[in-house]
Amino acid sequence: MNEHSPIVLVVDDEIQIRRFLRTGFELNGFVVHEAATGAEAIRSATLRPIDVVLIDLGLPDMDGSEVIERIRSWSSVPIIVLSVRSTEAQKVRLLEMGADDYVVKPFGMAELLARVRVLLRRQMRAVSGEPTVKIGPLTIDLAARAVLLNDKRLTLTPKEYRLLQVLAQHAGNVVTHQHLLKEVWGSIHVHDTHYLRIFVRKLRQKIEPHPESPRILVTELGVGYRLAQPAEGEPGPWTPAAAAAGTASPAKTEKTES
Amino acid sequence: MLSAHTLERLRNELRGVILTIGLVALLTLGVFAAVQASGLGHGSVVYLLPVLIAAIRWGVVSAIVAAVCGVLASAFFFFPPLYSLRITDPQEVVNLFLFIVVAVVVSQLATRLRRQLELAQRREVDLRDLYAFSRRLAGAFGLSDIHAAIEDHLASVLQSDVILFAGGRDGGSGRRPGAPQPVLDAVAKVAAGGGAPSDAAVHAGGGEIWLVHAVSPKNAEFGVVAINLGRKSQDEVDELRVRLDAVLADAAATLERLDVAHAIGEARMRAQTEQLREALIESVSHELRTPLASILGAATVLSAAPALQNEKKLKALVHDVRDEAERLNNDIQNLLDATRISSDGVRPRAEWAEPADIVNSALERCRARLAERRLAVDLAPDLPLVHVDPVLVQQALVQMIDNAVKYSPAGSRITASARAVNSHLAISVSDEGAGLTKAEQAKMWDRFVRGERHAALIGGSGLGLWIANAFVAANGGSMSAVSPGPDLGTTTTIELPVTQAAVPHMEGEEDE
Repeated sequence: MNEHSPIVLVVDDEIQIRRFLRTGFELNGFVVHEAATGAEAIRSATLRPIDVVLIDLGLPDMDGSEVIERIRSWSSVPIIVLSVRSTEAQKVRLLEMGADDYVVKPFGMAELLARVRVLLRRQMRAVSGEPTVKIGPLTIDLAARAVLLNDKRLTLTPKEYRLLQVLAQHAGNVVTHQHLLKEVWGSIHVHDTHYLRIFVRKLRQKIEPHPESPRILVTELGVGYRLAQPAEGEPGPWTPAAAAAGTASPAKTEKTES
Repeated sequence: MLSAHTLERLRNELRGVILTIGLVALLTLGVFAAVQASGLGHGSVVYLLPVLIAAIRWGVVSAIVAAVCGVLASAFFFFPPLYSLRITDPQEVVNLFLFIVVAVVVSQLATRLRRQLELAQRREVDLRDLYAFSRRLAGAFGLSDIHAAIEDHLASVLQSDVILFAGGRDGGSGRRPGAPQPVLDAVAKVAAGGGAPSDAAVHAGGGEIWLVHAVSPKNAEFGVVAINLGRKSQDEVDELRVRLDAVLADAAATLERLDVAHAIGEARMRAQTEQLREALIESVSHELRTPLASILGAATVLSAAPALQNEKKLKALVHDVRDEAERLNNDIQNLLDATRISSDGVRPRAEWAEPADIVNSALERCRARLAERRLAVDLAPDLPLVHVDPVLVQQALVQMIDNAVKYSPAGSRITASARAVNSHLAISVSDEGAGLTKAEQAKMWDRFVRGERHAALIGGSGLGLWIANAFVAANGGSMSAVSPGPDLGTTTTIELPVTQAAVPHMEGEEDE
């Protein structure tokens, strides 16, 4: 079989959290693995194919950020941080350390599912090499370097295009100010947030149907920008990044000892 | 063995004597030539000149040398028998006596004058040091700042390497590469006090000598200093020890006067309170939020569960659980924010921010709460960028919207607007709700104050606007509220400073 349920690894020391996440994900057709400690999480991530990792920062044996770093040393699996620590500086640090997104506790299941699906789609795009990103009326063709609004080609300056390109490469996920400034203007300008403000304003005038209440290029206050979730493409078979392993059966749920 | 200091003094004295003899010789040559040429009488009075000069410039020894040489020279050249040192004329004896008296008196006067001048100069330097020191103390935020100030002050007064070991508790400020082990031992002994001598000279490796001394024998808080004297003889060390005693007595008096002990105590207490507060906040936010996360998460899973989709009453219950958990979460956040503000802990992370982003994200966060109101958004085009912490301003704005929703009926209109006014950015939220009486306007910004007319009907802790106001104030802004009267609606406004000139330019950004 060439399609299976996406596999999510839940890393949290609180059993109640793991329990509702397991139920919530299983109801939505996911396979759930659990880990209660950092060591278990790392072992679990090396042993099985995983499509997305959800990790709490306050683990009993090591800091969640250390687990992220360890997993990042060999794997590009999407990682979402679940944390009660929520200052913007902490969020930025986590994103720069290799997390793909963060959700602040407490959160609703719907919000978390939306974030997870964004990451899965991005992973799928990366696998299939899909070069276009569609967000509502906006189409960004990364291969042809073309941007279309309602099928009409837009004229962007090189910097405006570069900004949009970096955001499109992470469509649906937040990209930090520092990352954008480094990619577009170079590392000496990483603290010049006003550059971003001015160019985002110009860009929104061109790509947003209503620039005063942007829906496509969204601000994550104090952290960065997010290009809204790409439109749901043709359903198509789910081709997971971990398909190579190909052994997991859709119905099977496993628990990594507790 | 002579100390370096004595040697230096001898050298100076010798220089003075040699210069004096040279001066007398030169004068003799001149006077002799003048006497030969013009047939003037003898010029013995002229020899008063080198005596005066030597007394003023080089001190009493040189002056007496000048007096003797002068009398001898005049005896030799000008008094009979000529070209002989024999003194026969009583005038010469009088001269000798006169010269010596002048030499002694003038040199004493000159020395005293010079001392006074030096003293005045040193006082000026000391005063400047002291001023700088007290200014640093006034600006010192923590213990380590105060210790660094004391250390630098002593280093500048003593003119040598000084390491301060603060109160013997934290083992030194560690700002300079450490002292050798024997010195550390001596410091520990001195710091322990209780009968042990309050000072010690330590011979560290490599011939270096360190003096270890309690800054003040009375006040252990001032700590212990270790001073690196380098290579010195025993005599010099003894001499320096006496000087150090005097300087430290002075310094300790200064520290007492500036109430440094009090400042140190305060700083230590502040640090402890700060630690306690942070631990409390950390634990509250973790211990309360973790179970809340389970409750809220489970409720959202349940509310979407297929099994419940046809159970209207059960579903309503689950929604109640979810909504109440969310409210509890907001209350916890408010309490945490309030704790942070009370202990003066709001530290804005200012950046150049887009006002429209702040308004939009606040509205986004309140979307569920605004569902039953008609929302109007009015953002002026080309709003100026503001240099603020956008997250804090957004949180203040959320509180304002929250209040507008709380005190207005379902279906009424809420307007969020932003515009530039003179050198300010004004963000306002207007509602068509309960409005404000004069009395309410006066005290609405206080902590734990809630609208009394509605207290029975509308929940809340009364912290919201107080927090909002503190967040805005931390960003250099201000808040205000106006209402035409009870039941006529309220407009709350945040004003943030806009410093148009300060918006930095983009360099080399011709991007067309």
